[in-house]
Amino acid sequence: MAPPAPRDMGDSKYLDVTAVGKAFKGTSVMSGMDFRVGRGELVSLLGPSGCGKTTLLRIIAGLTTADSGEVLLDGRAITSAPAHKRNISVVFQSYALFPHLTVAENVAFGLRARGHAKTDCGPKVAEALALVRMSDFAERKVAALSGGQQQRVAVARALIVDPVLLLLDEPFSALDRKLRETMQVELKTLLRDRNMTAIFVTHDQDEAMGVSDRIAVMNAGQIEQFATPSELYARPASAFVMDFVGLSTRLNGEVIESTENRSTIRSAYGTVHAPGTFVPGTEVTIGVRPELVKTRAAENTLRVTLADAMVLGSKTQLHGRAEAGDCLLCEVPGMNSDYAPGDTVTFGWDVADTLVYETGT
Amino acid sequence: MTGRAERIGLLALPGLSFLAVIYALPLFMLLLKSVQIDGQFSFAEYVAFFSDSYNLSVLWRTLRVALLTTGLALIIAYPTAIIMARAKGFWLSVFLVAMVLPMSVGVVVKAFAWTILFRTRGVLNDTLMSLGITDAPIRMLFTETALIIGAANVFLPFMVLPIYAVLRQMDSRLPEAAASLGATPVFRFMNVTFPLSLPGVVAGCAFTFSLAISMYVIPSLIVGERQQTLSMLTARSFLYLRNEALGATISSILLLIAISVVLTSSWAANRLGARQ
Ligand SMILES: Nc1ncnc2c1ncn2[C@@H]1O[C@H](COP(=O)(O)OP(=O)(O)OP(=O)(O)O)[C@@H](O)[C@H]1O
Ligand SMILES: [Mg+2]
Repeated sequence: MAPPAPRDMGDSKYLDVTAVGKAFKGTSVMSGMDFRVGRGELVSLLGPSGCGKTTLLRIIAGLTTADSGEVLLDGRAITSAPAHKRNISVVFQSYALFPHLTVAENVAFGLRARGHAKTDCGPKVAEALALVRMSDFAERKVAALSGGQQQRVAVARALIVDPVLLLLDEPFSALDRKLRETMQVELKTLLRDRNMTAIFVTHDQDEAMGVSDRIAVMNAGQIEQFATPSELYARPASAFVMDFVGLSTRLNGEVIESTENRSTIRSAYGTVHAPGTFVPGTEVTIGVRPELVKTRAAENTLRVTLADAMVLGSKTQLHGRAEAGDCLLCEVPGMNSDYAPGDTVTFGWDVADTLVYETGT
Repeated sequence: MTGRAERIGLLALPGLSFLAVIYALPLFMLLLKSVQIDGQFSFAEYVAFFSDSYNLSVLWRTLRVALLTTGLALIIAYPTAIIMARAKGFWLSVFLVAMVLPMSVGVVVKAFAWTILFRTRGVLNDTLMSLGITDAPIRMLFTETALIIGAANVFLPFMVLPIYAVLRQMDSRLPEAAASLGATPVFRFMNVTFPLSLPGVVAGCAFTFSLAISMYVIPSLIVGERQQTLSMLTARSFLYLRNEALGATISSILLLIAISVVLTSSWAANRLGARQ
């Protein structure tokens, strides 16, 4: 395995996907897709089912050919290179371990495909298995492994060939919650130590926030926003991103008055104020992150009847009664049993904390 | 719950009793006949069979033809099965129909069709001669080669379908994972696709070999009486020579070969299955 290369984060173009389009039987899955990843970055592709995450990953890996556009890796065009010449490893959702081979043989596969004799692979295989703490299982059949163990083997198999890029398609989705969290931390540390450039596909936002430097939120074959987890959470670029990343209080309304960088919006629960200038009459969606909503009056104040109060341990969630499509949500820290369904409480938050989007964007 | 499982097992009873009465019982009586002389237990018939060099040559020819037929069928069937496993919709139906339909055409009809193709002034010889490849017609009918080609043709579906079934249900991610690990198409085939298809290959070979070793109509029509096979010898013993003991002995030998093929192949399939 190679010595770590210098890590270059941000807007550099180690992997450069430009204007890629793909249609299946005339149905366009993506068009004009631009996607750039820096060397050593851990990036997540986050989006709802069917939005094209796997398709993008397969195009990068060379398992699916793009109809149009270009893929460059480290400045080299790989658009038409076959998968086996790209040195891009893939960890599949189902892990795709070879059922007729043992754990050690699975891990050695990439080396053997590169022409190494079976006997020469031993030390590297042992090293790779030690890396994922699977040394004791080398001679096992893969069918005799648990989901978490299979995942480790898949990771070892992918890393042993020193890939220039690692692609992981929902690598944790077959694991239960507890194991998933452990594996996320383990894998992140492992990839960081090796300075691996990696792309995770997921539709779990917590996973994306946890494992990656940056997250590309995808919707219907488009990247809606590509930013750091905190940026994504604090300043979502669209109502879709706001909904997809984290929870929020979310109201639909109509702008009734708009002055310099401040609009007044009428909602079903009263008037609220938001930053930004809109033409009066514009339909908008406003949102506030639940931990920014307080149970006291502030610049925006609503009286809310509680539908539920959920004590979740580190926080307590207050759900207000809301119309379909709206959501009234407030999070107070710690375990708080002062609230009961049916209570009327005050939700208050500041104008500066209010996110506002034109409906339909 | 066990009680219920046992009761469900009763559903197999009609099938089992049918097999017992129609298949196992007469076969057992046949076997008995081959080891009895005048009511005495004896292997004399077997000794007699194996000490006759003509019988040995027939046995050897039967095995050789069955082996070559199986090999030829495998070579033709494997690529077909790969293409079928990748086919979808309309083309898949075309292939499946092409596999199944010929089974409904009797072997006799097929054998006569080949005669048109293979005979001295048949289609094949006329073509070869008009192309100037040969001057005189080649004798093709009544040869072992024609027999093997014909038999492989008839038994092809029994080779294609098991291999197709295994390839079809193979996870398509496996060759893809291999490719992403740097494996060339050839390496992928040799190390992933082919080993994983082995259970299908074993089943196909067992079917084809068992059918080929006991075939009677095809050799009778293609090579005739001059080159006997074990089945033809059996028929002759019963029908013309009226030598029931000899017929029973040859039948039992055929049966033993078939049983060992089935046992070996199921053992191999089990081992391959356990590896996966
Ligand atoms: N081989 C294919 N043939 C036809 N349509 C396909 C094929 N692969 C993907 N699609 C379609 O392309 C779209 C995007 O699929 P893709 O698998 O990339 O989604 P995804 O974001 O990975 O979804 P998920 O989260 O469910 O895995 C879907 O509408 C899917 O039906
Ligand atoms: Mg997917």
